[in-house]
Amino acid sequence: MEEKVLTRLFGVEGITRLDVYRREGGYKAVEKALEKMKPAEVMEEVKKASLRGRGGAGFPAGVKWGFVPQNVPKPKYLCVNADEGEPGTFKDRYLMSHNPHQLLEGIIIASYAVGIHAAFIYIRGEYEAIAQRLEEAIAEASGNGYLGKNILGTEFDLDVVVHRGAGAYICGEETALLESLEGKRGHPRLKPPFPASIGLFQCPTVINNVETLSNVPSIIQNGADWFLKKGLPKDGGTRIFGVSGMVKKPGIYELPVGTNLRAIIFEYAGGMKDGKELKAVIPGGMSAPILKADEIDLPMDGDSVVDAGSMLGSAGIIVIDRETSILDVLKTVAKFYAHESCGQCTPCRIGTSWINKIVGRLAGGEGEKSDLDTIIHLASNIKGTTLCPLGDAAALPILSICQKFRRELEGYLPHA
Amino acid sequence: MPKIFIDGQALEVAAGLTVLRAAEEAGIQIPHFCYHPAFAPEGSCRMCLVEIEGLPKLELACSTLVKEGMKVQTTSPKVIEARKGVLEFLLAEHPLDCPICDKAGECKLQDYFEEYGLFQSRFNETKEKREKKFALGKTLILDRERCILCTRCVRFLNEISKTEEAGILSRGIHSEVGVFESELVDNNYSGNLAEICPVGAITDADFRFKTRAWFLEKKESICPRCSRGCNIYIDSHPGFPRVPRSRRVYRIRARKNPEVNSHWICDFGRYGYADLDQGRQEALVWKKEGRDTPLSWTKVLQILTEKIRYLILRRKVSRLGVIFHTNLTNEELFLAKRLFRMDLGVEKILLAEPPPGQADGFLLAADRTANRRGWKEIGLAVDAADLAGLAGLDLLLIFGHYLAASFSPADLKNCLDRVETKVLFASHKSSLDALVDFVVPVPVSAEKSGSLTNLDGRVQAFRPALDFCGDGVPEWKALLDLAKELKVDHKYYWPLDSPEAVSQALKKEIPFFQ
Repeated sequence: MEEKVLTRLFGVEGITRLDVYRREGGYKAVEKALEKMKPAEVMEEVKKASLRGRGGAGFPAGVKWGFVPQNVPKPKYLCVNADEGEPGTFKDRYLMSHNPHQLLEGIIIASYAVGIHAAFIYIRGEYEAIAQRLEEAIAEASGNGYLGKNILGTEFDLDVVVHRGAGAYICGEETALLESLEGKRGHPRLKPPFPASIGLFQCPTVINNVETLSNVPSIIQNGADWFLKKGLPKDGGTRIFGVSGMVKKPGIYELPVGTNLRAIIFEYAGGMKDGKELKAVIPGGMSAPILKADEIDLPMDGDSVVDAGSMLGSAGIIVIDRETSILDVLKTVAKFYAHESCGQCTPCRIGTSWINKIVGRLAGGEGEKSDLDTIIHLASNIKGTTLCPLGDAAALPILSICQKFRRELEGYLPHA
Repeated sequence: MPKIFIDGQALEVAAGLTVLRAAEEAGIQIPHFCYHPAFAPEGSCRMCLVEIEGLPKLELACSTLVKEGMKVQTTSPKVIEARKGVLEFLLAEHPLDCPICDKAGECKLQDYFEEYGLFQSRFNETKEKREKKFALGKTLILDRERCILCTRCVRFLNEISKTEEAGILSRGIHSEVGVFESELVDNNYSGNLAEICPVGAITDADFRFKTRAWFLEKKESICPRCSRGCNIYIDSHPGFPRVPRSRRVYRIRARKNPEVNSHWICDFGRYGYADLDQGRQEALVWKKEGRDTPLSWTKVLQILTEKIRYLILRRKVSRLGVIFHTNLTNEELFLAKRLFRMDLGVEKILLAEPPPGQADGFLLAADRTANRRGWKEIGLAVDAADLAGLAGLDLLLIFGHYLAASFSPADLKNCLDRVETKVLFASHKSSLDALVDFVVPVPVSAEKSGSLTNLDGRVQAFRPALDFCGDGVPEWKALLDLAKELKVDHKYYWPLDSPEAVSQALKKEIPFFQ
């Protein structure tokens, strides 16, 4: 399909090698940006393309770059968030392992636009082989004058460093990522100050997701209008939807922003597996509130999913069938957030653990009548009161599961 | 000066203030655990959340800066609900062992529950089991079940003592305060950790299980253990006379003074309180032929007056010697100068001091007396005590027992044997006691009124934090009594009847003290 932007070259033999990538038109965008465009023009193009962040929050990337103050004597940094830990999300690993140079190209252009000379790729610890592949790509790019001093004979310098995480979900939260990168505990920071002004090592910092940056070369190469046309006016381009769960063809699907959720599940992913019946969908990674089977006629763009009471997040779509007990879903969610809460702030540290204890007891057949109300009460007290978004990420799916599937869950409570 | 509204009250506050500080200045208390004025905001306890008009979520009062026109609600239903929520979370995993907790009575968790909580617990699960007696420091015990992870202790060690011995270990519900490499928190400021812990997680081994906070009387004083002049509280059992081996003072705590010691005191000062009750002089005695004969101050005063009058009459004032120390108050040193140097013309005025120590680069100064600066400003020129110069005196008045620390008992005896009459005014017992004729107990600074001048020249007045239990007399009174009995400059001394009155005279005569 010709609409593909990010995964267009995935099938090309040897594409992870620089020579093949270049033969397929790679690094042309870097050449265009560095040789023919001013940094401000690059930033303007990305702003015009309405490239929204692909990590989960969906903030426009060009606008984010524009927040970095240009008149400070400190160095500026780019951090690439490759700490892909959101359950149900597995797109960045493909982008990095199948086309590492595309990401590097995006990094170079973004750095050029913002005036950055050092970029860090903070990659999930488990992605060891991918980190290795990135190192190889960086070495190749450096050897060919795309990284290092005087890139392509211009004044522009850039070094890229790969840093592997140590296995904490919270380090995907941008400020915890910065702390971790600085060698500290991965505890989120208070905002403000925002990383754009005070970030890594107290310096102005841009933090972008892998998929976000991987889009940048095409935008520069083909122009903002071309990119916008692929998606929606306020949300340009394509998204990589990761579909998992009870579908015939789980995997990643690159589709225009705004593609219908039902179509993604039933057409692209081949529909339900083994004739099973759809019960629920988590549309944007586990942090997103759950949707019932009758709520999935929905364009998959940021605003539409929010209007439907959930969020697009990382576009990781988890498909749940009728035979799957909703209590098991709740248990998985509760356990995950209790395990991954960093422990810094009170509501998340104790709230997620408390909910997990109740759900565990429920699942063990020792539920009490008040349990569901207690869970809802606790999740409501976590929501909006925590230091970082992990609190909401835990509370919202739990609340939605308890509210939308209350009747089924009540079946696990003792009857009066 | 931004104009803001807190709970409908219009306030003009300094720019750069946080909402919490602005509220405090208007007398509105916003509850908090992790916030401490000496540290950068942490924002982890979530207790100080307030509602700010126009913002979708509750915001932290401890870190949000005031802005022109900001409208803050600290008691709206949403805020109250959030506070209750935080308390409910904290108490869910708290052991609730207040009856055996040393912090009870001065615990923020207890206080806030009374004020903002008062709910029935919904917690039906098993609480986490944690270490209850972890040796955190030389004198510190950490109860990890009580800990609410506010990280005040960790931040103190990072930001104030800069010794960085502790941190947070493990993750999520398993997070705990721990020390690195199994070493103890070991610095001269460790005692502050028990004080800044908002709950009973860090307790002072020295205070543990000894008394209850509500039995203690909390009085202000000035630490006399070095020349810094840290402001302190002395917490004592009221109505507890100084009986041998019983405890009167239970702890010393830092009293905030941004100009001197901020919120802190050093361990050397904090744990020095044993001195207040141990080794004290208890009775005024005449040491006659190896026996202690009880005597009254009036009688000693009479004997002294007669001896000095005799020396004046015979023009033998040169055979009168006085030894001082600079732990005496400004008022006492001022009286000493006036009486002995100016009125009586005594030449032999000496200084015997405790030996200096090492400065630690923060609060503790090398100079281990409380008022050396005051002595300099008063201008009482003296020589350091030199034993050779004492021999042959008719009368020697010794203030303080510090001679005993500077000279060997044999040398002291040899010298003092050649002085006819020796009167010792001392707060503590020492080897000097056996070498003198009269011992007059005097109070320590915690037991008297007066003022001390710290190393930066700051004059700090104080009132008694403890009763003086000996049958002696404070030095200021001894000096005034003596001056009055001797009838030197009657008009000058007659109106002086208290340290406050002496202080007025001091301020009038020496511009430094004005």
